Amino acid sequence: MVVTTQLETSKGLETLRRSLVKQRKAKRIGISVCSGTGCRAHGSMELVEEFRRQLYAKGLTDVDVRATGCHGFCERGPLVVIFPQKIFYHGVQIKHVDSVIEKTIQNNELVESLLFKDPVSKKKFSLEHEVPFYAKQQRIVFRNNGKIDPAEIDDYIAADGYAALAKALTRLTPEEVIRQAQESGLRGRGGGGFPTGKKWEICRAQAGDEKYIICNGDEGDPGAFMDRSIMEGDPHSVLEGMTIGAYAIGATQGYIYVRGEYPLAVSNLSIAIEQSKTLGLLGDSILGSGFSFDVDIVRGAGAFVCGEETGLIASIQGDIGSPRQRPPYPAQAGLWGKPTNINNVETWANVPVIIDRGADWFASIGTERSKGTKVFSLVGKVQNTGLVEVPMGTTMREIVYDIGGGTYKRRKFKAVQTGGPSGGCIPESLLDLPVDFDKLQEAGAMMGSGGLIVMDDRTCMVDVAKYFLAFLVDESCGKCTACREGVAQMHKVLERICQGDGCDGDIELLEQLGPYVKETSLCQLGGTAPNPVLSTLRYFRDEYEAHIHEKTCRAGVCKALVRFAINAETCKGCGLCLRDCPTKAVSGEKKEPHHIDAELCVQCGVCYEDCPFDAVIVE
Amino acid sequence: MLKLSIDKQPVEVEPGQTILAAAKLAGKEIPTLCHHPAVPPAGACRICVVEIVAGDRPGLVPACAYPAKDEMEIQTRSERVLQSRRMTLQLLLARSPGSEVIREMAKEHGIKELPFPEHTGTGDKSDDCIMCGLCVRLCQQIIGTSAICFDGRGPERKVSTPYSSRSDVCLGCGACAFVCPTGAIDPADYCPNPLEKIPNEFNCGLDARTPIHIPFPQAVPNKPLIDRENCIRFQTGGCGACKDICPAGAIDYDMTDEFVDEDVGAIIVATGYEIIDPSIYEEYGYGRYPDVVTSLEFERMVSASGPTNGELTRPSNGKPPMSIVFLQCIGSRRETNGKSYCSKICCMYTAKHTILYKHKVHDGQAFVFYMDVRAGGKNYDQFVRRVVKEQQATYLRGRVSKVFPRGDKLVVRGADTLSGNQVEIAAEMVVLVAAMVPSSGIQELSQKLRVGYDEHGFLLEAHPKLQPVDTNTAGIFLAGACHSPKDIPESVAQAGAAASKALGLVCHTRLSREPTIGVVDESSCNGCFECEGVCAYGAIGPRELTDNKGNPLGTVAFINEGLCQGCGACAATCRSKSIEVQGYRDDQLFAAINAIHR
Repeated sequence: MVVTTQLETSKGLETLRRSLVKQRKAKRIGISVCSGTGCRAHGSMELVEEFRRQLYAKGLTDVDVRATGCHGFCERGPLVVIFPQKIFYHGVQIKHVDSVIEKTIQNNELVESLLFKDPVSKKKFSLEHEVPFYAKQQRIVFRNNGKIDPAEIDDYIAADGYAALAKALTRLTPEEVIRQAQESGLRGRGGGGFPTGKKWEICRAQAGDEKYIICNGDEGDPGAFMDRSIMEGDPHSVLEGMTIGAYAIGATQGYIYVRGEYPLAVSNLSIAIEQSKTLGLLGDSILGSGFSFDVDIVRGAGAFVCGEETGLIASIQGDIGSPRQRPPYPAQAGLWGKPTNINNVETWANVPVIIDRGADWFASIGTERSKGTKVFSLVGKVQNTGLVEVPMGTTMREIVYDIGGGTYKRRKFKAVQTGGPSGGCIPESLLDLPVDFDKLQEAGAMMGSGGLIVMDDRTCMVDVAKYFLAFLVDESCGKCTACREGVAQMHKVLERICQGDGCDGDIELLEQLGPYVKETSLCQLGGTAPNPVLSTLRYFRDEYEAHIHEKTCRAGVCKALVRFAINAETCKGCGLCLRDCPTKAVSGEKKEPHHIDAELCVQCGVCYEDCPFDAVIVE
Repeated sequence: MLKLSIDKQPVEVEPGQTILAAAKLAGKEIPTLCHHPAVPPAGACRICVVEIVAGDRPGLVPACAYPAKDEMEIQTRSERVLQSRRMTLQLLLARSPGSEVIREMAKEHGIKELPFPEHTGTGDKSDDCIMCGLCVRLCQQIIGTSAICFDGRGPERKVSTPYSSRSDVCLGCGACAFVCPTGAIDPADYCPNPLEKIPNEFNCGLDARTPIHIPFPQAVPNKPLIDRENCIRFQTGGCGACKDICPAGAIDYDMTDEFVDEDVGAIIVATGYEIIDPSIYEEYGYGRYPDVVTSLEFERMVSASGPTNGELTRPSNGKPPMSIVFLQCIGSRRETNGKSYCSKICCMYTAKHTILYKHKVHDGQAFVFYMDVRAGGKNYDQFVRRVVKEQQATYLRGRVSKVFPRGDKLVVRGADTLSGNQVEIAAEMVVLVAAMVPSSGIQELSQKLRVGYDEHGFLLEAHPKLQPVDTNTAGIFLAGACHSPKDIPESVAQAGAAASKALGLVCHTRLSREPTIGVVDESSCNGCFECEGVCAYGAIGPRELTDNKGNPLGTVAFINEGLCQGCGACAATCRSKSIEVQGYRDDQLFAAINAIHR
């Protein structure tokens, strides 16, 4: 931090911003090293150190090295982007640092081996925005990820940070801020899609001086990590959004409820809060406006149900994280019984941009009833896994094929699971569905927090439903009968089916229990828990029937129902399966078709995964 | 007021009330399990779901936890509701197949078989737990101790104590077990020091009562009172459930016992009696053998408002006693180690008890050991004869030497003096017809009132024949068994007499007294108050003398004219000869003597 005294006016903030931008312009080149959790695991922090060490050794003081937040393309980490050209390198290791500096920084040449090569077209891409993964994305929430160091408030301010807050505090009344939020059409990104401005308006209208703001960072869906990347990579955008929201509804205290498994998010948020307080962007009379607001971090202890707003409030209060019956809604009686406004991390991160660039601009992006962009974590059987941010209304096909690069190993696409355990499946026939809140709901799935799990023909839909239900049985708080007992019974039925013990009436029982659990459960965990089952039943009923009546699992997943064999015609006798088989069930000579001994085979599926010629088949 | 309709029936409720409360007003029954009026609702069991048809977001909501809203239309028995309830019950039944309550409810909802396998439990009471959490909420939110909690989540959830160890903070109040809808809680499982059951004094401790209770049926006033010694609210500051549920808002924890001063013109003492503790007679085994009971305990046992609701059962095994022996004169008419007097009422009530016994146990046989049957009173003798004849009660004249157990029966060994044989009766219950004694504390009271009492502690009347309801202290009268053993007609008659006497005193504006009372000569009294000590009637007290400017001059004796009986003890005691009895002054006595000698 350059300045460590409180900014007393918005003019002071502008002056600081100008000096920071000037300072940054003095640097010729910027090296942005992705330091999201994925790239860190691949050693990106060591990479940052190495860059700095070598640059120093070579006397290249006009090169700025930044450890930034997640760039999104986690599949290919660690990622390095060289500014100002935005040269994109992936899979960068310490041994490459030398050549990157020598070639790119010093001689403006590309390091060919680190460029992204499209696996299909074999075409190489040198610039970030040309890489197919990024080309179709529109980065609003992730506007700063990849550009700023999350532990440096100066970076955020230089990137127009806190301008929206200054604008709200000095030029807008709370009502005007709410109107902006309403006109923008922003809907809650946590899953429910409730209009954010409306939520604020309700909370503002409640009587009482004491109100709270909560940022829901308890991202619990398996495979979802958008919120984590925002909290880790751009914590100030969340703080700024919350402060604007607090100003709008009249709150004086905010809490960020962060999932316990996100230590980096906690650390970066803590640093951000400290720095904001030092500059007077949090605390008493922010920017001399007379409006005071403070934020504390509360760490969750790992319960999925604490992502439900009333469960989350109970957890902050130190009670068991169990949801309670609504009404009263948190906006009426939330934390400590006071009016409380809860929004998801991604929602808060959208707020500053809306205030800064205007509601009309935001409303111009997206579909009629879903505005702006949505961050998805694209995972599963897809080529390019990672975080993608696309405008609402982008089709599923664009996300999976254009951005995601299609299915892994070009296998046959089967479905996309959206919305995590509460969501459902989108089959191939609906791939051209424009993705927004309402369209997904109509298709029997839901936006959820934004998990997209791509499935191919080797994914068993009964097994997928069983997996999600096992997760929900584990994560149900157990308070209400419908969820505690109902979901557990549904899971038992699925287990039975997957073990080959399914019988007539099982599907009907699931169809009876599903709607019951949905409409009788206390909270939305139970209220959406049967979705994975109901939506797979809707689109893949034949798979259930095959499991029950024919006792087969065509995807080769349910061990009790699978027998692997080798197709002698396609087998080239490469020996890969023979080498990897843990029970020595595969036999055969090199370059001759191999054979699986059914007696020894334990259906682990290693050969099935291994075979480059798809010669291992499910009988 | 909110206007809504429940099953198309309009109903009005106060804002803030739940749908369940509104349904109750409309007379619609909604089944509940996790609901208790004193505990904030949770909507956990989902059995009370109702359907919102209009007026709010349509769908199923728990009636116990969902607020009523204006214009709401509710269906409590729509097909959707019943389907949900049936499924909830099926799930609960699969979880707790042994629970009587759930089985019964499932039956009522037409559930014959389960689509899922039944849960195999641990085999103890906790299998019946349906995880509704009512006990946990009660302990936390009402009792304020949080001695029990949930452990685990989802289907693994169970009610436990923090860290699954016996809870130090548990008060042992047992409220959790009391509210549990399926009776799945045994507080002994986790409570290190369960509270003693509070014996119900009126039922001779034969059953237990709650800390808040009506002392006895027909109590005046017939209102509950809080026993502070046992009330959790007063002991720990927790609970307060009674205040929450009292619809009249009549519970006030700030009320305290108070001393009330009343100026009265007359006092009637009617403190009644107790019975002698028969455990001092070890041969009868009272206190050792549960089936040996006192006559008063028997009276409560056969009472419809008694501990067993009028069902006569043996305390040892809960079965009806097929043979019963009444032992009369336990402690009465006994020169040593007892009371020398006849308790007078026992013969008659024992006869009544044998009738009551036969009414309860038709095939039973009653025996009565007696010394003499003293049935002096109008139709009393006929009554006893009827008992012997109609109820076939066997009356044996003689005393019992020993009661001892044999098998599950009690052997009563005694003499039948009419046949001269020793008899042994194998009885299933023995009733000790214990002597009547004055209420405990009567001595203290008699000293306070300056009323005498006899060697047994019964209060003394002023004159056995002429003043049977008066005492020696003016204005104090006696009624009932405080005076001597009496039955109800006698007590009623005496009470009437005492009341007339008292009314005779207070109905006049002026009190007429004999004029022969003591008078103090204030000019010579030196205020030594020797007289105060000798006055048997408490008629003498101090009186401050002042001059006409109000300056104190000294204290002298003062005689209350209403209380003074003119006995002259004070006059005889006074050293300064300052007290004289009116009409009996020395000079008057001398004049009388002189007149006789003339």
